[in-house]
Amino acid sequence: MALPNLLRLMYRNFRVNTDPGSLVILIGLPALYLVFFGFGFSSLGGGGTKGTSYLSFLTPGIMAFQVVMAGTVGGSILWADRRWGMLAQLLVSPFTRLEYLLGIMLTSVLMGIAGAFTMLVVALALLGSVPVGGFGLGIIVVTLILGSILFGSAMLFISALVKSSNAYNSIQVLMIFIVNFASTVFYPDSPSLPLPIQVLFAVNPLTYVADIVRDSYFGLLTVTDAYRLLLLTVEAVVLLYVATRAYMRSDVSMK
Amino acid sequence: MGISKPLMETPAIVLNQLRHTYDGKRFALDGVSFEVRKGEVFGLLGKNGAGKTTLIKAMTTLIRPTSGSLSILGRDPVRQGKEIRNRIGVVQQSESFDFTSVEGNFDIYGVLWGVPKDLRQRRREELIERFELGEFRKQRSFDLSGGQQRRVQVAREFMHDMEILFLDEPTVGLDVIMRRKLLDSIKEEVRGGLTVVFTTHNLEEADYLCDRVAVVDSGKILVLDTLENLKRLYGGKKTIEVTVGGGDAGRFYDALAHSLGSEATLKREGNSALLLVQDPRVVLSKITELAGATGVQLEWLNIRKNTLEDVFLSTVSGEAEHGTS
Repeated sequence: MALPNLLRLMYRNFRVNTDPGSLVILIGLPALYLVFFGFGFSSLGGGGTKGTSYLSFLTPGIMAFQVVMAGTVGGSILWADRRWGMLAQLLVSPFTRLEYLLGIMLTSVLMGIAGAFTMLVVALALLGSVPVGGFGLGIIVVTLILGSILFGSAMLFISALVKSSNAYNSIQVLMIFIVNFASTVFYPDSPSLPLPIQVLFAVNPLTYVADIVRDSYFGLLTVTDAYRLLLLTVEAVVLLYVATRAYMRSDVSMK
Repeated sequence: MGISKPLMETPAIVLNQLRHTYDGKRFALDGVSFEVRKGEVFGLLGKNGAGKTTLIKAMTTLIRPTSGSLSILGRDPVRQGKEIRNRIGVVQQSESFDFTSVEGNFDIYGVLWGVPKDLRQRRREELIERFELGEFRKQRSFDLSGGQQRRVQVAREFMHDMEILFLDEPTVGLDVIMRRKLLDSIKEEVRGGLTVVFTTHNLEEADYLCDRVAVVDSGKILVLDTLENLKRLYGGKKTIEVTVGGGDAGRFYDALAHSLGSEATLKREGNSALLLVQDPRVVLSKITELAGATGVQLEWLNIRKNTLEDVFLSTVSGEAEHGTS
């Protein structure tokens, strides 16, 4: 029996984007962050928050960071398919535009979750144990889904508008850098930070993803996390709507 | 020669007064009407920008025509696009590959089309052999030459079953041998009942493959007939090639067109022109007479048998150039 259309598209997306080179960037790079930053900054002393080691503090941050990486995968799929003709080819095959979009979003979500849990396994290997429980894991999965949709939508929006390869790559690298380092992935938000950076932290959705994942990881969930989750949901829905409109209106091919 | 076979009654494709504009100003398709019968090989001939690719895009549901009606396999592309796409195959003019090996592209395409694993593998191997892709089956498609990529793209389309195959200039970049193999492959599929819509610049290909051809220019169908009829219509004619130098070439050709009237079709390009004529003797005498009168020198004069290309050129240029046919 043939697979449903959505699963066929997802199979294709995974197969095309899981070559060794892509995996090094998607999984290897964050894992190296975890290893080098985790041990490197721990040696400065002081550790992380609430008496944990920096490596332990960094683990949920890097798990959260996977939603950005997953988002870039989604954006890159659309951009490459427009640039190299596969979007036009798929749209003269038995797929609708919406199915294609859903295929990308679901691929991003699964990659985000898989990447985050790979980081958890790496952390387990480095630390010997991790404090996260079953409920925490559930909240982490929900947060990763929302985060992947949010960042996947942001990258899809950019892919639908940008035609130049250089422009797309530059925007992507810049976005990863700013989103990643102006968030609580690597360090906690602190009143000692300069005000502009505090503002960047506050408006950056990755801060919320990282905070929820971290609180879930350490079993320290509070009502604030529920508000963060709500905000994340609203942002994800709005961005998904905007990205879908941009994609539906974009040319199927850049040629 | 085109493929002669009994044609069934129900048309596979019906276009009625189809119009399409991309910018709201110029019509890429301007009142196109024709039918393609089931099991027929239908050729669309035209120069670059004539509207062939836009026609293919409309018939394959990639664009929604601005006005007119269109039916593919009895279905409306606007409301039943997915049903139509389930039953057609399309080889587009531009490249379309996944970032993986040649055989990976075949596999993925088979999965996308829901081809069962055993059949998928069997077809992949058969197509790799038929299109002589074995040598570079492990290479990434993007690392292949243009001709090799084209072979992969065409071969890949045969991974799935279809009722109509749309081919937008499928032989561009292919060498002579591979071009013939590809055309033979299509012929073989047509014998099995496949309907083919085929765009090309190459008139020999059209002659070899098509049952009927439509000549497209500026979004309009200029001529639509069987190749036999087109040849009969233009077959008795000869082509005269003229190149002049010195003097006023424009004045010479204007005078020539005026003098010949309906005796010839004249297509001019700079100092040269092609004339499609019934009786070359009359035309030759007028050429020499007018060359003397207008002060131009005849640098090249050649008479040859009319080819399908001349028919094509004269049809495409006929409305815009001097003379009528």
